[in-house]
Amino acid sequence: MVERPMDERAILRTELRWVIVVAIAVLIIVGSIVISSAAVVLHPPSSVERIDPTTLHVSGEFVEDNLGAVQNRDGSVTVRLVATQFAFVPNCIVVPADRPVTFRITSPDVIHGLLIVGTNVNTMVMPGYVSEVRTTFPRTGEHLMPCHEFCGLGHSEMWSRVRVVEPAAWQPDENGRVSCETPARSPVEEAPEETPQ
Amino acid sequence: MTRPVEDVEQTAGSERAWCDPDAPLPNPLPRPPGELERLEKVWEVPKGWRFFTRVNNTYIGMYYTATALLFLVLAGILALLMRAQLAVPENDLLDHDTYNQIFTMHGTVMMFLFAIPVVEAIAVYLLPAMLAARDLPFPRLSAYAFWAYAVGGLAFFCTLFFGLAPDAGWFIYPPLSSYEHSPGLNIDFWLLGIGFIEISAIAGAIEIVVGVLRTRPPGMSLDRMPVYAWAMLIVGGMIVFGFPPVIAGTMLLELERAFHWPFFVAEKGGDPILWQHLFWLFGHPEVYVIFLPAAGIVSMIVPTMARTPLVGYRWVVLAMLATAFLSFGLWVHHMFTTGLPHVSKSFFSAASMAVSVPSGIQVFAWIATFWRGKARLTVPTLFVLGFLFIFVLGGLTGVMVAVVPFDFQVHDTYFVVAHFHYVLIGGMVFPLCAAIYYWAPTVSGRLLSNRLGYSAFALLFAGFNLTFFPMHISGLLGMPRRVYTYPAGLGWEPWNMLSSVGAYVLAAGFLLIAIDLILHLRFTGKVNTDPWKAGTLEWLPLENYATRSIPRITSRDPLWDRPQLREEVDQGAHFLPGTATGRRETIVTSPIEARPQYLLVMPGPSAHPALAGAGTAALFFLLTVKQAVAAIIAAAFTLVMIFRWVWETDRSGRHPPVDIGGGIRLPVSMTGPASHGWWATVVLLLVDGTIYACLLFTYFFIWTVNPASPWPPSGAGLPQPLSGLLETAAWIGSGALLMLANRFVAALPAKRGALTASLVGAAVLALGAFGLGLFAQLETGTRPGDSAYGAAVYTLVAWQGFHSVVLTILAGYCVARIHARLLDPVHRATFDSTRLLWLYAAVQGIASLLVIHLFPRLVG
Repeated sequence: MVERPMDERAILRTELRWVIVVAIAVLIIVGSIVISSAAVVLHPPSSVERIDPTTLHVSGEFVEDNLGAVQNRDGSVTVRLVATQFAFVPNCIVVPADRPVTFRITSPDVIHGLLIVGTNVNTMVMPGYVSEVRTTFPRTGEHLMPCHEFCGLGHSEMWSRVRVVEPAAWQPDENGRVSCETPARSPVEEAPEETPQ
Repeated sequence: MTRPVEDVEQTAGSERAWCDPDAPLPNPLPRPPGELERLEKVWEVPKGWRFFTRVNNTYIGMYYTATALLFLVLAGILALLMRAQLAVPENDLLDHDTYNQIFTMHGTVMMFLFAIPVVEAIAVYLLPAMLAARDLPFPRLSAYAFWAYAVGGLAFFCTLFFGLAPDAGWFIYPPLSSYEHSPGLNIDFWLLGIGFIEISAIAGAIEIVVGVLRTRPPGMSLDRMPVYAWAMLIVGGMIVFGFPPVIAGTMLLELERAFHWPFFVAEKGGDPILWQHLFWLFGHPEVYVIFLPAAGIVSMIVPTMARTPLVGYRWVVLAMLATAFLSFGLWVHHMFTTGLPHVSKSFFSAASMAVSVPSGIQVFAWIATFWRGKARLTVPTLFVLGFLFIFVLGGLTGVMVAVVPFDFQVHDTYFVVAHFHYVLIGGMVFPLCAAIYYWAPTVSGRLLSNRLGYSAFALLFAGFNLTFFPMHISGLLGMPRRVYTYPAGLGWEPWNMLSSVGAYVLAAGFLLIAIDLILHLRFTGKVNTDPWKAGTLEWLPLENYATRSIPRITSRDPLWDRPQLREEVDQGAHFLPGTATGRRETIVTSPIEARPQYLLVMPGPSAHPALAGAGTAALFFLLTVKQAVAAIIAAAFTLVMIFRWVWETDRSGRHPPVDIGGGIRLPVSMTGPASHGWWATVVLLLVDGTIYACLLFTYFFIWTVNPASPWPPSGAGLPQPLSGLLETAAWIGSGALLMLANRFVAALPAKRGALTASLVGAAVLALGAFGLGLFAQLETGTRPGDSAYGAAVYTLVAWQGFHSVVLTILAGYCVARIHARLLDPVHRATFDSTRLLWLYAAVQGIASLLVIHLFPRLVG
C-alpha cells in the first residue's frame, strides 16, 4: 500500500498555509502591475482615430501626393502610408536618425499590419482607422518592413523598406518632403549654403 | 420487469449510510443468481454492422478519441507540407493559393477538429469510469455530438481536395473574409463547418457539466472529486460561456457574406474590430479549454507515479477556477496593436500576466508531489516531465508577450507562432500522450510498449524543441507569420531549415505512438487491471456497464484508502449491484455532497442520434453550397430523427421506488428543479443567453463606433411605439399562458383540451409578436443591408423570430406527447424544458424591444 507521510489533517493545514502565502504573492504581483500601468506611465502608442476608407484616396491627408516622409515645423518627421493589397504606398521611406518620427497608416481594403524589423514599430492597420506609431531610430541603416497580418494571396510579397540616414543627410525639398527617388544630398556639399545663416 | 432486490437488511438508524465508512456494506454477499446476467444483458452492445447504434460512453468515447486523433494526423501532415515549403527561401513546392488554404486548414483543424473534440472525447470515455457512473446522463446526446462532428468534420476536411478550403487564416478577419475580398465558397465552408463543431461542443459541455455534478457515486462530495473531474466541470462551464461569442460571430459574418448585412464594413458604420472582439472573446478562453483538461490529466498521473496524494488539492482546484475566470479577461491581448485606448491596454496586460500565477501554482503543486513521493520514471511520467519543461518555457514567453511594449515588437511574427506552439503542444499534446500511455490499460487490459513509448518520447521532445525553438529567433529577426515564402539573405535561412528538420523528427515520434497503438491496443470490453496501483475509481474492474456495483466513497483516493474496495465492488457489495428496473440506469446524487437522490433510467442503443448527426452535418453543407431545397429536406430529416429519439425518453412507467442497498430506496426518475433534464435545460439557456448578450454587444458596439452621427443613423427610422407595446403584451401573454399550462399539466389527463389550447395560444402569440416586430421594422423603410445599425436591429428581430419558431415546434411536440398520453403529472420533463425555454424567450423578447424602441429615444 501507499505510504502516507502525513496524515490528512496535517496536509490540510499545510495547504491552507500555502494558500495564504500564495494569495499574498498574487496580490503583490497584481497590485504592482496595476500601479505600474496606472500610475507610472509606461504606455505603448495607441490612438483611436476613424477615417472613411472609401474616400481616403481622394481627399484628406492620405491622398497620393501627401504620402511619404515630411518634415514638420518643429523639426519632427511624419510618415504617411497607405497599406493596400498588396503593397505599401510609398514602397520605400527615408527617415533621419535621432529625430522623432511619427508613422500614420491606414488601409482602404482589408486588415494589414506592419513591422519594422529590428525596431519596436509594429501595428495592425485597420480599414476605417488610422494607426499611429511614434519612434526614434537611433542608428542609420536599412530596415525591412513586411506586412505581418495575412491579407490575401499576395501577402508574402508585401514588403517595403525604411532607410534611416544621418540627420544631416536628410534634406527636405521645397514641400518639406523626402523620398527614396530624390537622392540624399551630401551634407558636405550643402554645408557652405547653410553657414551664412 | 424485474423487481428490485427485496432481501436487503435495513441499516437501522444510519441516516448517512451512503457516506459513512463504518456502516456495513450496502448489499449482502453473495448476490442472488441471475443478477449479473440481467445487468450484462441490459448493457449489451449492438454488434456487427449495427455499431452506429451504440450509445455506451466507452464506445462513443473511443470512436470520438480515434476520430480526433485522425484529425491530429491530417492537420500534422498539412504542417509537414508547410515546413517543406518554408525549408528554403523562394521555394515553390506549393503554390500561393494552396499554401494559404493549407495553413488556414492546419490552424482550423487543429483547434476545432482536434483540440476541442479530443478534450470532450476523453471526458466522454473516462468520466463515467472515474465517477463510477454507468454512463453519462444523456448517452444519446454524446452519440449525436460525435456523429455530427465525425461526418461534418471529414466532409469539411475534404474541401481541401477541391481547392475550396478556407484561405484567410484560422481567425478569418473581415474585411478579407467578407464578400468583397473573398467571393468564393471557401470562407462559407469555414463558417458553416465551424457551425456544427460548435453544436457538438456545446452538446458535450452540457453532458459533462450535468454528468460531473449529478452522477457521482454516493459520498463523493465536491472536495473528494478527482482533479480531472474538477477540470472538466470547469471546462464545461467555460465552453458554455466561451463558445457563444464565436457562434454569434460566425452568424453575423455569414449574414454579411450571404445577404450583405454590413456588420464589419467600415463605410457603412460597421467595424472590422467587432469581429476581433467576438472571435478572441471565444479564442482566449478556448486556449484554457484545451489546457485545463491537460492539467487535470497531469494531476491524476503525478500522484499515481509519485505514490502520494496530490500536494495542494484545493490549491490546484482554486488555481483552475482562477484561470477560468481570468481567461475571460484576456481576449484583447490578441489585439494590442489594433489601436485601443490606453487604459484597456493596461488592464489586459495586467490580466495576461496575472493568469500566469495560477498556472504557476499548479506547476509547483506537481513538482511538490513528485518531491514528496518516490517518482517512477515510466512513459507517462516522462511525458509529464516533458510537459512541465515545455509548458514553463511557453508560459514564460507568454508573460513576455503580455508585456505590451514587447508585444509591439513581436506581434504577428514567428515569435508568437513559437509561443503558442509551446503552450499548446507542450501544454496539451504532451499530457495527451501521457494520458494515452497511462489509461490505455483501461481499454485493453495491458500496458502499451515501454520501448516504443520511450523512443517516441525522445523523438517528440527533441523534434518539438528543434522545430519551435528556432521560431523564436526567426520571429525576433522579423519573419512575419503566414508568408508563403521569403527572400534569401535576411538571416532567416538556417532557422527555417532547423524548424523544418525538427518537424519531421516530431512526426516520426507521432508515428511511433501510432504504431504502438495499432500493435498493442485492443478493446476487450471487460477489463480488470491496475498496473500503476492508482487511487481513483477508473481502475476498478470495468465492463460495458462500468463497475458491477457503485462504490460508497469516503475519501479522495478510495483505492488507496480501502484496499478491499476492488473486491467488494466487483462482487456487488456496494450500491445498485444489478438492474433495478430492468433497464439501463445509474444513480443521480446531489451536486455538493453526493447524497443519492433518484434512479436515472437511461435510453439504450438507437440509430436516431447517428442519423440526426449525419443530417445536421448534411444540413450545414447543403446550406453552404446554397442548395435550399435539399437543405430543407435535410433539416426536416434531422428534426424527425431528433424527435423520434427523444420520443422514447422520459418513460419510467411509474415504477415504484427501488432499493439500491444500504437501506436506501430511491424514486425512479424525477421531475422539477432537481432533475437532470432541468439542469441540462438551464445550461442550454445559459448558452442561449450568452449568444443573445453577444448580439446586444454587437448593437451597442456599433453605436459606440458611430459617435458623430445621430442614432439611429440618418435615413433610418424607428418603428412605431405602438407596435413595441403590442409585442410586449404578446410576449407577456404568451408567458402567462405557459404558466397557466403548467397548472393544467398537474391536472392531466383531465385538462388535456385546456392544456392544448393554452400551448397553441402561446405559440400563436409568440409567432404574432415576431410577425408584428418584423412588419414594424419593415415599415420604417430601413433595410438590414443599409447600414450596420439596420443589420444589428434586424439581427435582434431575427433572433427572436428563431425562438418563436423553435417554441412553436416544441409546443407542437408537447401537444403530440399529450395526445399520445406520454405526458402526465409524473412524466413532464418535455413540458418543463419547453416552459423554461419559453419564459426565457419572453424575457429576451421584451429586452430586445427595450433596446430597439427605448434606447434610441433615450440617446437620440
